[in-house]
Amino acid sequence: MSSADDALLAKREGERAMLREFAAMPLDDPRRAALRERIVTSHLALVVAMSQRFRDRGEPLDDIIQVGNEGLIKAVDRFDPDRGVEFSTFATPTIIGEIKRHFRDRLWAVRVPRRLQEMRMQVNRATEELTGTIGRSPTVREIAEHTQLSEDDVLDTLESSQAYATLSLDGGDDDESMSIGNTIGEEDASLEYVEVRETVMPLLNSLPARERRIVVMRFFENKTQSEIATELGISQMHVSRLLARSLDQMRTKLES
Amino acid sequence: MSTPLIELRVPPDAASVSVVRTSVASLASRHDFTLDRLEDLRLATNEACALLLDLSSEDTAALTAIVVSPATGTLRVTLRRRGSSSTLPGPESFAWIVLNALVDNLTVLDSDGEVHLVLTATSGTDLA
Repeated sequence: MSSADDALLAKREGERAMLREFAAMPLDDPRRAALRERIVTSHLALVVAMSQRFRDRGEPLDDIIQVGNEGLIKAVDRFDPDRGVEFSTFATPTIIGEIKRHFRDRLWAVRVPRRLQEMRMQVNRATEELTGTIGRSPTVREIAEHTQLSEDDVLDTLESSQAYATLSLDGGDDDESMSIGNTIGEEDASLEYVEVRETVMPLLNSLPARERRIVVMRFFENKTQSEIATELGISQMHVSRLLARSLDQMRTKLES
Repeated sequence: MSTPLIELRVPPDAASVSVVRTSVASLASRHDFTLDRLEDLRLATNEACALLLDLSSEDTAALTAIVVSPATGTLRVTLRRRGSSSTLPGPESFAWIVLNALVDNLTVLDSDGEVHLVLTATSGTDLA
């Protein structure tokens, strides 16, 4: 057996040990978040590989990977090492399911025509490039000049990618296992002096971790959508869409 | 007072709010708003309309949206509906935090039995 094989075996064994430790750890253990982070990081390649399969469908690869990651996190939380199934076998359907759900909710449900999908990719790319060169997010006119699309087309693209989600899609996200304590770490500091903690916290808690983070960054740390996009490695359109969806979801929660 | 760029009177329902939101976003793009500011104003319009729709949910009172441009690169969106500002969530509510973060200025006033939410936003192109 080569040393490369040995290294691979050692890595696998390390991953298994982490998963066993995580599964055995009490839910309120303060080390849980850090360990989950390490497990997620060590399986990122799995998400990237699966995301590649969906790359030609009009969404930026980074956004797909981000969605896939949410699936991976869910899989880590649900995995039971005692069942004798390899983690990658267990996680694959969850990750794929999450990516498919993203496409179903955001794209297929509104039947985005192929042309719009192509324009969306162009607009996304232009937004990213122009933000880098101008030092702020571009205007619709600037994107139109850069992509040779008409301003109306750019606007339509932004509009369609907004996809103000219907309420049924937003209900019942199933990662309740992430309590705010272990998902908001440093962001929590920015909430400390907000007098409305008691009213805001339950609302934030009703959101999936990533959305919660984006809401905190935008409304409590006053970061712009493009700053958030850069920091999280996703497109600005995706940030905008997640914000709109989160606000809808929190409003529904407030009214109920 | 500048001449309104648009003046919309719509029924108080979600589909109509989408018309208002889209019209405001379209105006913002014509006034050279950056994507950051444009998307923020779109979100703010949606949130403000939602607040007004909640004033009296059984009520059929129309929602009015008026947009003016008091200066180059500035849009002022006035959204109003029958009711009283005393029934709106307080200034420390989450809705308020959100609206304040999304626009440059937010004013609430009561006039002729209507609540006015006035959002002022700037294009953001001077940031470069």
